[in-house]
Amino acid sequence: MNQDKVFNRKISSMLPAGFLVLVLLPLLLLPLASVFIYALRGGLGNFGASLITADVLFALRFSLIIAFATAVINALLGTYAAYVLSKTRFPGREQLGIVLNLPVAIPNVVVGTSLLLLWGPIGLFGQMLEPLGIQPMFTPAAVLLAHIFVTFPYMLGTVKPVLDDLETTYEEAAYTMGASRWQTFLHIVFPALKGGLLTGSLLTFAHSLGEFGATVMVSGNLRLRTQTAPLYIFSQFESGNIQAANSVAAVLAILSFILFSLILFLAARTGKKGAQRGK
Amino acid sequence: MLALVLWTIWPWLPSQRSNRPRTIVLYGFSILEPVITRGIFPAFQKKWMAETGQSVELISSFGGSGTVTNQLIMGVPAEIAILSTELDAQRLKKAGVIRTETWKELPHKGVINRTPFIIQVRPGNPKKIHDFSGLIQPGVRIVHTDPLTSGAANWAIVAEYGAAVRQPGSGPDAGRSMLRGIWRNVVVQAGSGRAARTQFDSGFGDALITYEQDAIWSLSRGSSRLEIVYPRSTILSEHTVVVIDSHVSGKEEKLIKAFVDFLWSEEAQRIFVESGFRSVDERLNSSNPRFGHIHDPFFIDDFGGWQKAKLSIIDDIWRNRVLKELKP
Repeated sequence: MNQDKVFNRKISSMLPAGFLVLVLLPLLLLPLASVFIYALRGGLGNFGASLITADVLFALRFSLIIAFATAVINALLGTYAAYVLSKTRFPGREQLGIVLNLPVAIPNVVVGTSLLLLWGPIGLFGQMLEPLGIQPMFTPAAVLLAHIFVTFPYMLGTVKPVLDDLETTYEEAAYTMGASRWQTFLHIVFPALKGGLLTGSLLTFAHSLGEFGATVMVSGNLRLRTQTAPLYIFSQFESGNIQAANSVAAVLAILSFILFSLILFLAARTGKKGAQRGK
Repeated sequence: MLALVLWTIWPWLPSQRSNRPRTIVLYGFSILEPVITRGIFPAFQKKWMAETGQSVELISSFGGSGTVTNQLIMGVPAEIAILSTELDAQRLKKAGVIRTETWKELPHKGVINRTPFIIQVRPGNPKKIHDFSGLIQPGVRIVHTDPLTSGAANWAIVAEYGAAVRQPGSGPDAGRSMLRGIWRNVVVQAGSGRAARTQFDSGFGDALITYEQDAIWSLSRGSSRLEIVYPRSTILSEHTVVVIDSHVSGKEEKLIKAFVDFLWSEEAQRIFVESGFRSVDERLNSSNPRFGHIHDPFFIDDFGGWQKAKLSIIDDIWRNRVLKELKP
């Protein structure tokens, strides 16, 4: 009798989760599963073989390098932007904050065309650079520019809230003890930011790894030169090589899973630390 | 973690840098990808290695001919482009990417191979389509390419129009009413010949108007989702090679020229024939038993060349009249 009750309670506590899985099955889980099903259709041997071609190896390496570079640049740029927006006061501050958050909402294709129109041979910068023999579009630099643009808001989103909540008393105390602005940042602000910084960088890294819309416009989609992993997947899928496309997609999915697990783990850890400090 | 980092940067480490091969940067229209990357280029690689002892690497990108042309106009660093239609080559000249019609100085006026436009239908031909005229019956769902981005689409429209006007005893309006009938039944417009094939292969539509090569390629890879219908009269598409001189540096000039010459060599032309293209050298075409017979083949020159056909058939009849008549 008592056991029945426990059992029933267990069931009812699992109901919401079961319902969620049921709803998400056709929306998210099955499409994700199909990536792995198609990747492994020809057996593990085929899966491996389609991953070790020169094109795939290059595409994966190139994607990882671009993602890393994007994460580093936006970690610096984004943190600086968050610091300025949070700690200084100037007219138009809020509007600037909104503008800096826009890249997530703008269609990525538009980002691609805007970059082309600015840096391309007919663009403002492009025309100035042309006499110097510099043509940034359709090179790895173009891919980097596009990724910096579309992932910019992530650092702002993770770092600025931390800065906003940071008690100014600590900073003021540091100043009164004669610390410089830089010393204050290094010893007071930075330690508090660590969690947000890491989470933001990983989010940036993950998005950059999967970026497609802007990249396809500005990269020129050249194999062994500017073709990222998502572009490789697209062109393989378009030529009907579904297994090859899904094999690389599976690798990206696994990489993203690891990345997001890392993000969750870090978030949980810094959350605990924050709570302890609060006590 | 460290292993992943090391693996990622491995090819760029100083020890790996020295044996960088020379490169050829090629942009091509969609259906060329397998034959260039797996047939033509490996053969050239071997030949170049035997002659000079140097290794050479192909850097390539493939898409709809119109898309590729737009990329070239935006400034992608292509040294060689292979376009589906001469129309796109003319656009390159107009945009100043090349100064003159350089492709006309190449063998066969820049044409490397041909392929007739055919109709792909489902096995057993359930809709009883035996010619372009069979596509206008109600209830036929046609997968077509998009003339904005695809060379195949431009060829297909001229094929549909030309087949109608060349029919003995056809009236003055035959071409237009054929286009109207076919385009009423178009349910999907794909961005490139390759994309259209993928859509048809995945089970969508009853008929696809495309390159014979594309159908032969699918059949030779064991696809059982299609059957080829040869129209009585159809166009043979001609694919144009363009060398982008301004992107070829002085020290690469010889390599690029060798590759371009190789495209018309008997060895390369045989590879094209094996993968379903019809060679510009008629003698080689008997070696592929899959090529079907066409009663009345015609060429773009029969309509005054692309410059004229684009204005009169694509722009005037198809875009300005047929599409407007179809608007509900």
